[in-house]
Amino acid sequence: MSTSVRPKTKFRHSRLSARNREWIAGYLFVLPDALGLLVFLGLPMLLSLVLGLYDVDGFGAYRFVGMANYTKMMRDPLFWQSAKVTALYALMLVPLLYVCGLSLALLVQKTNRFNGVIRSMFFAPHMVSLIVVALVWQFLVVDKIGVLSRLTPALGLGGISFLGDPDYALFTVVAVSVWFLMGYYMLIFLGGLQDIPAMYYEAATMDGAGPIAKFWYITLPLLKPTSFFVIMISMVAAVAGSQAFDIIWVMTGGGPANSTSVLIVYIYQQAFSFGAFGYAAAMASILVISLMAMTGLMFLLTRGGRFSYE
Amino acid sequence: MKNRSNLVAASGKSRREFLRNGATFAAAGLAGGLSGFPFINRLPVRAQDAPLKFWQFYAPGGQVKPQVEWFEKTVADWNATHDQKVELEFIPNKEYINGPKLATAFASGDGPDIFIISPGDFLRYYNGGVLQDLTPYIDEKARADFPESVLANRMVDGKIFGLPMEVEPMAMFYSIKAFEDAGLNENDVPKTWDELLELGKKLTTPERYGLLFQTAPGYYQNFTWYPFLWQGGGEFQNAEGKSAFDSPATVQALKLWQDAVNSGAAPRQVLGNGANDSVANLASGYCAIQNVGIWAISQLKNNAKDFPYGVFRLPTPANGKYVTVGGGWAFVANSKGKNPEAAGQFCAWALASMDQGSIDRVASWCTEAKSDMPPRDSALKAREAAFSEGIIGQFAKEIHPGTRAEPRVPPEVYKIISDAVQQAMLGGADPQATATTASQRLDAYLASYSGAPIL
Repeated sequence: MSTSVRPKTKFRHSRLSARNREWIAGYLFVLPDALGLLVFLGLPMLLSLVLGLYDVDGFGAYRFVGMANYTKMMRDPLFWQSAKVTALYALMLVPLLYVCGLSLALLVQKTNRFNGVIRSMFFAPHMVSLIVVALVWQFLVVDKIGVLSRLTPALGLGGISFLGDPDYALFTVVAVSVWFLMGYYMLIFLGGLQDIPAMYYEAATMDGAGPIAKFWYITLPLLKPTSFFVIMISMVAAVAGSQAFDIIWVMTGGGPANSTSVLIVYIYQQAFSFGAFGYAAAMASILVISLMAMTGLMFLLTRGGRFSYE
Repeated sequence: MKNRSNLVAASGKSRREFLRNGATFAAAGLAGGLSGFPFINRLPVRAQDAPLKFWQFYAPGGQVKPQVEWFEKTVADWNATHDQKVELEFIPNKEYINGPKLATAFASGDGPDIFIISPGDFLRYYNGGVLQDLTPYIDEKARADFPESVLANRMVDGKIFGLPMEVEPMAMFYSIKAFEDAGLNENDVPKTWDELLELGKKLTTPERYGLLFQTAPGYYQNFTWYPFLWQGGGEFQNAEGKSAFDSPATVQALKLWQDAVNSGAAPRQVLGNGANDSVANLASGYCAIQNVGIWAISQLKNNAKDFPYGVFRLPTPANGKYVTVGGGWAFVANSKGKNPEAAGQFCAWALASMDQGSIDRVASWCTEAKSDMPPRDSALKAREAAFSEGIIGQFAKEIHPGTRAEPRVPPEVYKIISDAVQQAMLGGADPQATATTASQRLDAYLASYSGAPIL
């Protein structure tokens, strides 16, 4: 046959342009990851959405209930309480992570022998298991005999119960989360800072700009893509509870009096403590949809994460 | 050289046919794999000779070595005399109690053949249809050996679905040294709630709390709070199946725990594994009096043997009646397991046979492995001497006679009561308003509840 004798390269050249070949190669490289995401994230998300329409008893019985789980959710005071706690947690965590991550990055951005060690020290908490982090902090702040609890009377704060008082428990959990995560965000900001060309700072120095002016008019505007990334990632982490869950479950179990029961903790309780898998799936679906809406809004406001100077 | 078309043609099928057959094959596979979408057909391997899996949390390396040895010996004895073997699987405590392990196993159709549950979990598994009826494997004489009150919360319609290993009444344990340091002795143990609060305040120092109740939300906190509700005549449900939670007895029980915390006599946090851990809380000096169960005797004997302590029964409110709660775990068999018949026989053989081996096993668990009251009269008789002296003798004579079985409640009821206790104790909420709100939530739930009776 003619095809069998045609030189291979000629065959390819006749069918695909260089641009198309590159396009196909690019997608082939992405394919394994995309397939993984589809099978291990996309499909479970879809099944979870379907599961939310069922009453699942946790022992193999499934009964289609339509939107009943969603109407139950609307009337469930604990769902709203958890949504409120989640919002508070995110509202505290995201700005604190931004400020702490950026401050640390500015502190250690110059490359010298000490900063290498200091960067490692700031990043070190991120290398420890979250369970260990939660247990150690629980021990540090335990009533009366914890190291930090012993300090509070000396500071005139009286006997504060960091994890046993609903007025303080969420703040404590946020503080531990920030301590754990700030090293990671410091690294991201460091990457962003190192991308800013030094000539801008040199020009500003010649113009007589001080450190605050340089930060305000050069660093911050040129960090916009990094800031966008940090805010989005930290917001998703805060709302989805990817790190919060372990810390909260170990330190407080969602208590005292549901004051640290973020949505992911409540969803977990419904699924695994009460066996209400359908209801938990419905809440998880709402959480995912809310996250998608929030990230979509952020992309919309920033025109897909593009900034004017790019 | 053949191209793809030629290969397809060589097989005698056109490309379109090939694709169509492939699609049919894939659809058949999908339909076979997913029957009754979204219920995933698991088709578990039901090999009759595969060992039965027995899940529990008394793992090697745990706090009390004799408990692990007891489980190992029980299984070894069964395996030596039966064809159907049993295999122990150890689940970490936190994964087992309130954790995802059992829930995910049953949800995926791969639950253990034999496992242990507390009364707090009974309805969840019974209503889920996975508890094997154990009645056929227990003879009448053995059944009569269990006091009715011990079996009641594991029974439905006269059938037994769980066999208790132990009865664990709650009491107050106290540090003799803390008492002596405060110039007190055993004659100063409180009889009333007011005295308990006063004593708690007196024993509180900058380094130590006077008394300790469970603070973490969970089944255990509810379990430890029930006797305070009952002592004033309170219940969470009346005879008509409606909420009885909005009552003066509920309010005063909520207020007692709230006052203990607000006065600074009781902590908002507990140490170790929780308020069931007497070594981490009482023996460590974190508190002077701890509300804990009979199992603390073996905890202290094995892990703090030089710690001097005493026990007194739960104080009562003014005009109240003494009552304590008795918990305890039970063997159950999975009716959807590999071999429910053999699993049921194992439970009965281990804990509810009139053979001397079975009686000794229960007695040994309650006296050597643990320090519990036995659920069987014959086991109590077999170790009469052990139950007549020391702290366990005090339990047998003074504390156990006022024991009421731990209620069995659906998870939703547990959560409503748990929220009420948490809000009053740690959230500072008004006990009356808390009781009213919880009662309304209970009524809303109970109106739609269907399942075995809540007891």
